[in-house]
Amino acid sequence: MRGREARGEWRPVLRGHDLVFAHPRAEEAAVRGVSAEVMPGSLLAVAGPNGAGKTTLLRLLSGALAPREGEVRLDDRLLGDLGDRERARAVAVVPQSESSPFPVTVREMVGMGRYAHLGPWEGVGGRDRAVVDEALERCAVADLAGRRLDELSGGERQRARIARALAQEAPVLLLDEPTAGLDLRYRMELFHLLRELRADGLALLVVTHELNLAARFADRLLLLDRGRERAGGAPREVLRRETLEEMYEWPLRLVPHPGPGADAGAPQTVPLRRGDE
Amino acid sequence: MSARAGTWRAPGRVAGLALAVLIAGAVSMSVGASGLGPADLWRTLTGDADASTHTILLRLRLPRAVLAALVGGALGLCGCTFQALLRNPLAEPYVLGVSGGAAVGAVVVFVTGVAATLPWTLPLGAFLGAVGAMTLVLEIARRASPGGMDTRVLILSGVIAGAFFNAIILLLLSLADLQSFRSAIFWMMGNLSAADWGSAALLAVFLVPASAALLSLARAFNVLSRGEEVAYYLGASVQRVKLTAYLAASLLVAASVAAVGVIGFVGLIVPHAVRLAWGNDHRMLLPASFLAGSAFLLLADTAARVVVAPAELPTGVVTAVAGVPVFVVLLMRGGRR
Repeated sequence: MRGREARGEWRPVLRGHDLVFAHPRAEEAAVRGVSAEVMPGSLLAVAGPNGAGKTTLLRLLSGALAPREGEVRLDDRLLGDLGDRERARAVAVVPQSESSPFPVTVREMVGMGRYAHLGPWEGVGGRDRAVVDEALERCAVADLAGRRLDELSGGERQRARIARALAQEAPVLLLDEPTAGLDLRYRMELFHLLRELRADGLALLVVTHELNLAARFADRLLLLDRGRERAGGAPREVLRRETLEEMYEWPLRLVPHPGPGADAGAPQTVPLRRGDE
Repeated sequence: MSARAGTWRAPGRVAGLALAVLIAGAVSMSVGASGLGPADLWRTLTGDADASTHTILLRLRLPRAVLAALVGGALGLCGCTFQALLRNPLAEPYVLGVSGGAAVGAVVVFVTGVAATLPWTLPLGAFLGAVGAMTLVLEIARRASPGGMDTRVLILSGVIAGAFFNAIILLLLSLADLQSFRSAIFWMMGNLSAADWGSAALLAVFLVPASAALLSLARAFNVLSRGEEVAYYLGASVQRVKLTAYLAASLLVAASVAAVGVIGFVGLIVPHAVRLAWGNDHRMLLPASFLAGSAFLLLADTAARVVVAPAELPTGVVTAVAGVPVFVVLLMRGGRR
């Protein structure tokens, strides 16, 4: 299996089936019977109001949380049956945020992505270095490799975190609000990068509040509301005015993307002023 | 700076520190109350020394130097480990109450008068106290965090246990006679005057496996420093790493406190100074903290023997008095960078 992984030929599907999860001491379940499929060569966007259970769903699919009901499988194997290192070689995650009291350089940070590929006494090899270099290039942080992470802008830091996940060489990549706090260009660049990774055959899931970008870049969109699936499928079918207004409890209109280009006609959400509807 | 040049930088730094330990060892061996100096050390090494020189250097100064190097290394390594484990740059080897437990054990041995008749019970009492503290703190942390060992709860239970041990120590000391009071206080300040080959060998028995276990976790500490969730996503077995680090470092601290008492500041200042100077890659940091701790304690113990010769200062007093200004200078230089 290591051979297949290394050649990038292993393209598993990550499936969550009827997942239920309640946080300890919480009155209501955060996720109540949600199913999701993260497929190779496809980008699944998960959106919904704050507190809808998006991050909890991502944590369930990554194995960080164990579902109370339902199961998560990587192809036919239960995700929980994989060892920690084996799982990290299959599923990489870019969580919402992280901090550390101990600053590291961008190269050190991206090098951490090789953790699951290296034994405790194993030295970093030529292949590890090549993978790290490629991830740095890919995320356009190669020029910053020697800089300390805490000296970078938010957008640069986020790209370094994604580069670290790419260095894991996992066929499945889950990202939790990767564009939060980024400016227009970084947000567009990030979704472009996701499209490239999708073309490489990665199975991608992105939790996001960017309905307009999801409408343009995602193959499928899953709308979560209060722990349940509200709608799922192709973004152009899922994004309906009534659905969104009910979900967000806010008046809005959908307008077609003016183009030019491939995105022409994609439904773009425009929230109204309260009382203007 | 190319990636390849970076490959040799860390080993070069560690090798440089190893050389510093040898030099510090030679300095430590060349200085002392008997007036024997570097020339005598050279003659001993080449086999030209007379019998008494030979005895003083190899039976008295050498085991003491070796013990100082081992204890300093252990404290540097454990300080670095607790900083990584607790994700707190202010953590040090005694932060979780191990020294307090050891001191309770030692003070009991002093106050009951057993120490005066059976000296070997002192390290035993200290060690049992330290292991007891380690077990107690771990058990509190585990029961208070059902989802696994929460490091915030671990800090809290360590600090609480430490405060409790301090109260017990004060209680015992208030009941002690003047002689055992003095001995206990002197012991708590930490000193290497009782060093012999036996104590160095005993510490080495703990040091070798514990160091191997901790060094094997270097990469895990790197990913753990980004937070437990990130470490999990990168493939670390977080609970196992934390438990191994806690047990290995606590046992090593227990053994070093049993050997020489509580020597402060080495385990705080040394790893922190290395972090400030060379960054936070634990593959370099753990061995570098060990070696820098060794060199630092060798020099501090040399100073302890020389400053008020023919009397001696407690080594722990020297580490604090000398270490803090050095650290402040490093901190200010680091801040300017």
